[in-house]
Amino acid sequence: MTDGTDHQPMPIDVANFDDPHLQVAAVDPERAERAIAVYFFIGMVGMGVFGAAYWQNWKPWTLGLSLGVGLFFIGFGLSAWGKYLMPQGPFTEARHALHSSLAERDAIAAALTERTGVVVRRRSMLLGLLGAGLGIFGIAGLGFPLLRSLGPLPGKALTKTNWRKGSLLVDGNGRAIHRDEIDPGGLVTVFPAGYENNDATLAIDQTVLIRAQTGPLVTEPGRATWAPDGYVAYSKLCTHAGCPVGLYEKELRLLVCPCHQSMFNIDNGAVPQFGPAPRPLPQLPLYIDESGFLRSQSGFDQPVGPGYFER
Amino acid sequence: MSRLRRAFSSRLLLPGAVVVGVALGGIIAFGGSATGASGGGAPASYGDSAIFYQYPPTSYVPAGQALFATFCSSCHGSRAQGTYRAPNLVGVGAGTIDFWVTTGRMPAENPNAIQAPRKPARLNDQQALEVAAFVNSLDPSKPGIPNVNVKDANLADGADLYSLNCAACHTITGAGDELAFGTYAPSLRAATVTQIAEAIRTGPGNMPRFSGNLTNAQVRDVVAYVAETIQHPANPGGFALGGVGPVAEGFVALLFGVGLLALVGYWIGERS
Repeated sequence: MTDGTDHQPMPIDVANFDDPHLQVAAVDPERAERAIAVYFFIGMVGMGVFGAAYWQNWKPWTLGLSLGVGLFFIGFGLSAWGKYLMPQGPFTEARHALHSSLAERDAIAAALTERTGVVVRRRSMLLGLLGAGLGIFGIAGLGFPLLRSLGPLPGKALTKTNWRKGSLLVDGNGRAIHRDEIDPGGLVTVFPAGYENNDATLAIDQTVLIRAQTGPLVTEPGRATWAPDGYVAYSKLCTHAGCPVGLYEKELRLLVCPCHQSMFNIDNGAVPQFGPAPRPLPQLPLYIDESGFLRSQSGFDQPVGPGYFER
Repeated sequence: MSRLRRAFSSRLLLPGAVVVGVALGGIIAFGGSATGASGGGAPASYGDSAIFYQYPPTSYVPAGQALFATFCSSCHGSRAQGTYRAPNLVGVGAGTIDFWVTTGRMPAENPNAIQAPRKPARLNDQQALEVAAFVNSLDPSKPGIPNVNVKDANLADGADLYSLNCAACHTITGAGDELAFGTYAPSLRAATVTQIAEAIRTGPGNMPRFSGNLTNAQVRDVVAYVAETIQHPANPGGFALGGVGPVAEGFVALLFGVGLLALVGYWIGERS
């Protein structure tokens, strides 16, 4: 209490908000209001910078800094408003019927109108600044993502990878894989030759090549020729959320997804054995060419990665 | 590396060729009737300037056989042929034996455990080489024991290869993590340079084996990255909290972050 006296709790319906003691807690309300207006203005500017940074794809730290400054100063201004410009209690409010009588409502409206000249108009600048800051935040934080971040339509990228009939399997450095190169129990992440450095398609082309054994591996009926010399290849994209299924446990013969622990048995066509993945990993049919290098018989026979609207 | 230097000192590098030459001459001279313990197809050493692989000398075989009979044969069989309790070790290579023994995983405390944990080694480094010499003499096989020249390593390439091939299981900080059905990828923080290279080349337990698809130079880069960056991390942000990920970090964020917010809330709610 600014005047140093103790107030007894006061029933709110008899409180006179025009009482200077209740009206403001600050020593100098005009000064407090100016300070709060400055806080809101800085907050508004921060939100504006945030919007610009998001739209122009500036560096992440500019996004964080501007959003932080904006939210901090708006919040700080609101706190200061509550502390220094609002009537300070304590008030009590007894329970009563939820809706007021018509007469009471008329009286309240009249009382509000009567006080408008003093209280509400004086704060209109603050309310305007607050609304502007939060409005810019709403547009930048909610509207911009819809406008800017949904990006171009995916087109055929959902169903098509760069694996073709005869694609040479290469590792991330572009090195082809020879049939004698990997011992049983080894694995390597492979890409179709020519696309190993293509950032746009790396994600959906990535395939995990495992040498499970020395003899051919039949993972499912109809796939008798797909895994020559025990080399079996599955799409590295988890069918649950698209994480790279890079964990191979060679004794359990399981591929494990690091994100949600989906497990795929490489011996039976990577049918999920555990976890949230709904579908098997698509298998890439392989063959070994005359020089002993691994190639794909064709592309994947189904879309890779997680499900989407038409699948 | 220094361990191998001590073990073999100067007798394997240049004189090794002489020894092999004499042995071959002997075999030819005696019509191949006695191939000896070091016969078969594996060379006495191989590799390049990045990693040089060596085999323990055949003079270690008798001591290794005695150690094997004492510590290993009850599960793996007297000739390392394997039993219903433990796998066949014939042809796994000296590097495999050296890895399992020097990391203390073998002899196993509990043969029925899903996975043998790292623990203080029961056999010392010399004894590990002796056991490796004995098992290797049964069917000489790759890999030998790697001697990694980490001085020339490219840590940036090592980091790339680590994130691609290792981080999925061992985590990007090398702390290790749980896998399927009670198995786990162990922490890398205690592994020596030789053990890391052995693990990559042999694929212990459920770990995949990286043989032909990584060159010696690439393995050297990964080994150096683990030994320098993973095992001696720079944590510019302060406490790493074990590098185990969001659970520990979230706990601290909740405890201190929410605590701070509570103080701020108290300040806001306080009457002037």
